[in-house]
Amino acid sequence: MRTRRLALTATFALLVASLAAAIWLGARLFVVERDNGLIASLAAGHDLAISAEDPPALLFARLHFLTTRDRLDEAQPLLNRLAAGEDKRLAVAALYDMANARLRVAFSHLESNRIDPAIPLVRLAKDNYRRALVLDPGFWDGKYNLDIAMRLVRDFPQIDLEGEELPPDAVKKLWTDLPGLPRGLP
Amino acid sequence: MGRLARILATLGLLATFVLLALPTSPALAQLRTVELYAPRGFGHVIGDTLTLSADIALDAPFVLDPASLPPPRALNYWLDLHEVRLEDHGVSEGVHRYTLDLVYQTFYAPLEPRRLTIPAVALFAIEGERRVPVQVPAWSFLMSPLREIVATGPGPAMQLRPDIAPPLLPTAGLLRGLALALGVALLALLLLAWQMGWGPFGRRRARPFARAARAIPLTLATAPGDPILAASRYAHALQALHRAFDATDGKGVFAEDLPGFFERHAAFRAAEAEVRRLFAASRRAFFGADPAGAQRELPPDELVALARRLRAVERGTA
Repeated sequence: MRTRRLALTATFALLVASLAAAIWLGARLFVVERDNGLIASLAAGHDLAISAEDPPALLFARLHFLTTRDRLDEAQPLLNRLAAGEDKRLAVAALYDMANARLRVAFSHLESNRIDPAIPLVRLAKDNYRRALVLDPGFWDGKYNLDIAMRLVRDFPQIDLEGEELPPDAVKKLWTDLPGLPRGLP
Repeated sequence: MGRLARILATLGLLATFVLLALPTSPALAQLRTVELYAPRGFGHVIGDTLTLSADIALDAPFVLDPASLPPPRALNYWLDLHEVRLEDHGVSEGVHRYTLDLVYQTFYAPLEPRRLTIPAVALFAIEGERRVPVQVPAWSFLMSPLREIVATGPGPAMQLRPDIAPPLLPTAGLLRGLALALGVALLALLLLAWQMGWGPFGRRRARPFARAARAIPLTLATAPGDPILAASRYAHALQALHRAFDATDGKGVFAEDLPGFFERHAAFRAAEAEVRRLFAASRRAFFGADPAGAQRELPPDELVALARRLRAVERGTA
């Protein structure tokens, strides 16, 4: 009778534990399916507000939505969050997509011969590609696009080829656009 | 050489530079050797990591100054020192051995294959106040371009590789876990039902006539020619069958209760005549002190047949 009671208790405990696990997993599945629905609707072109507590995959979906529409200023906070996050794969993807978007904007500037706004965009894109490659050195698409960006900057003779340091005369030139100091009343 | 074999196995094609620092000057007397193991010296592209591995052997009291290790940082505009790992193998036969792994990453974008050099790394071995320089030699390699200089392929010249599309969150693991949890819950429920005698398990357990039909032939199996023993066994068999009636009805069933019994358990009406004979035989056996008459009324063979008949009725297969 004692063992029967013990077996009964054990079975009941197993039932309760497995039901609790099933409820928890079901709730998780519900949340994940909802997030997947949001990701799919972002991919379909419906903008959604995203909060900071949302999972990184959702943040990345919104970043992708923004970068493909050239809304880079709105995408930058998301990129910062993803690049500092746990998920390396998403960090690489976010850096890469952002860099691609910057390069695309730079291309459109260059097509209409606006060189000055294009240069900082290319530099930022190069930096993003580099950070992506630091996280994942075997990322071939990142290598390829970084190579494109590197040669793009090399195409401007007034910028030093691929050095990140500016030559001394360029450093001096930086200040020429500042307004002159007021010299007092005549 | 086991270490060399390991590197050969992991890096595939491998060029080994072995630099023996000969003890030419007194200052270098404490430095036995620095051996540099490097990956292949060609075919590297932008973003590749290069792991230089140096085996350093020092004379015993000297230790490598950990403060002289280079910190991971950007060395220049195209070269990052990514990671520095120092493994201390301890002292054996008066020689202190270390393995220093330096992981570099190159970001040079060459237009044509180009030779680049990773600079030497200056370390120090210390023993008390004495400091001896230890040099991990420079290493040069060829970098290759990824793209042609003038695009000749189809499509625009500067076609970027496509974006990474946002991935969906994986649900397969959760689904598997949920199915497993539900399966375990179902099994636990079945087990509980079996233990508690719920549902079909309950009906299966409460089959008193099945039990009686199983027990009666065993009870009656007796050696011939011993009427007293035979009579007592016959009485036991009758009792077994009566207990089945009691269990089915939930209370004691006597001859005068039979109409009520058949009302409550209509299926047994099919065997009403035999049941009445059974009760008559019982009356003779237990209250009339006439076991022989009882056996004439309902011979043991017929008692067995009746038990089986009732079992079939109980099962619903009569």
